[in-house]
Amino acid sequence: MSDRKLPRLLQTPAVLMLLVWMLIPLGMTLYFSFIRYVLNSLRHPEWTSPVPSNWRGFGNYEFVLKSKDFLLAIQNSLFIVCSILFLTVILGVLIAVLINKTFPGQGIVRVLLISPFFVMPAVNAVLWINMILDPVLGLQGIAVGGINDMLDGLREMPLLGGFFSLWPEFSPISFRATQTSSIAVIMMVTWQWTPFAVLIFMTSLQSEDMQQKEAAILDGAGPWSMFRFLTLPHLGRPIAIVVMIQAIFHLSLYAEIEIVSRGNGNKNLPYLIGEFANNNIGAASATGIFAVILANIVAIFLLRMVGKTLME
Amino acid sequence: MAIVAQTSRFGTYGRPTLAWVIGLLFFFPIFYMVLTSFKTDADAVKPEFLFFFTPTLENYTNMTANYDYWHFARNSVITAVSATAFTLFVGIPAAYAMAFNPTRRTKDILMWMLSTKMLPAAAVLYPMIFLAKGIGLYDTHILIITVLCLINLPIAIWMLFTYFKEIPKDIIEAGKMDGVSTFGEIKEILVPLAWGGIAATALLVFIFCWNEAYWTVRLTTLDAATLSKLIEGNRAPEGLFFGRLSAVSTAAVGPIVVLGWFCQKQLVQGLTFGAVK
Repeated sequence: MSDRKLPRLLQTPAVLMLLVWMLIPLGMTLYFSFIRYVLNSLRHPEWTSPVPSNWRGFGNYEFVLKSKDFLLAIQNSLFIVCSILFLTVILGVLIAVLINKTFPGQGIVRVLLISPFFVMPAVNAVLWINMILDPVLGLQGIAVGGINDMLDGLREMPLLGGFFSLWPEFSPISFRATQTSSIAVIMMVTWQWTPFAVLIFMTSLQSEDMQQKEAAILDGAGPWSMFRFLTLPHLGRPIAIVVMIQAIFHLSLYAEIEIVSRGNGNKNLPYLIGEFANNNIGAASATGIFAVILANIVAIFLLRMVGKTLME
Repeated sequence: MAIVAQTSRFGTYGRPTLAWVIGLLFFFPIFYMVLTSFKTDADAVKPEFLFFFTPTLENYTNMTANYDYWHFARNSVITAVSATAFTLFVGIPAAYAMAFNPTRRTKDILMWMLSTKMLPAAAVLYPMIFLAKGIGLYDTHILIITVLCLINLPIAIWMLFTYFKEIPKDIIEAGKMDGVSTFGEIKEILVPLAWGGIAATALLVFIFCWNEAYWTVRLTTLDAATLSKLIEGNRAPEGLFFGRLSAVSTAAVGPIVVLGWFCQKQLVQGLTFGAVK
């Protein structure tokens, strides 16, 4: 079948492009991870050029493994990704099921709902951390201030005032602190990616078997058991796909972390690499290799999960 | 259908109300950003002017006067449009080959392509800058277009592949009988048939290109800098410039959000990733 040859060859440009895109930078990263390579050094100017004579063996890897930030960064990366996945899938399924039936203004609600997905990640982060979550000037600060003012007013009341004076003053939370910055990142990314989950689930719900549902109603099935035994299994594949695509994007989350934490807060792996790369390229590259390994471990799990159903 | 459309109290009142509340909640941050962009920097941080204030266009006029918004917007359009076109140009033939002439390794190739997306950008940033400067492409449109194409190609091929796979092979084969060439087959038969999926793919890729902020910020200085670079440069000290910040942000995300609104139907229908059987 010689007429099969050309069609098959059509994938070569894409394959070659991605191969070069992967291998050349990865090869260079691998090389940098084994040498001493810094951008500025007064004491060792010879380390500022990437030459083989600066060979350091596994020294960079040792340095990274010993740095206290490394394990924390891995923990954080996983915590952030898992929380976002969990929240977006739950919210996505609930919202998709909610808006799947026709109701007045369905089109407008749909437009409102999916808008966050189009917002630039950098804008998303700037908007949330400054204008919404800021403890003084943001909506959070304004809301907390308003509640406290109201409580002050209530305390002045006769009779009931005594009851309200037992209530504490509320204090706003700073989302730039180490403990809370991951929460801020999870909030903003969930806001942005829930619409994506809703889009995919909605598309899938449109192909749900209505006859099956009618039969279930005739058999006396309630809304919950219909959701549990018909809708949820129907959403299995789309859930797997949403999880996989989001994992790909969120493992390399960078702009949000950078804008929220500015280095004081929680770091994830890409951010730690960026921090090392300000001067120590060797250490940054070694961390990069660790990140590649982590990504591949996650990828194997995810791709198994989705890949099985892909070729059916 | 009549049976499914049972009316319950939740169905008539609860569902629409809840749906509207959630929709408005999700949209609120964007609304608040647009609203703030019409306040002066001083008014923007005063609680008493939260919703009622004297609107001003000052932030927008300052923006075009101070930072040459149009330069960045032009670059965003050029790079995102070209990168989307380039991605489809490479991606459609590849997805065609995989969907209609699969081999034993097709699945592995597809999975490998997706796994290249998992390569952390931060890990390869330095080598990339090194290479870009070495071949003299740093801060050029060509470089940004190529990079945007490469980072979106895996997702695009996957989307197209899952869409193409649903098309009956016989229809494509029929073209072969009539003596149509392979490229003719793609152009005359496949593209019209899979138009919905191709449009949705193009939209998604375009959105990702427009919003990309890692490479576009780090591989440019000014000439090829896009709107994400403009945002990066305006991330001013907290709180002081809410009005200005909102105006720049609104101008940067406005075009893409409006485009998304107009094309939401295509997205809803085409964004299946093979999840619909």
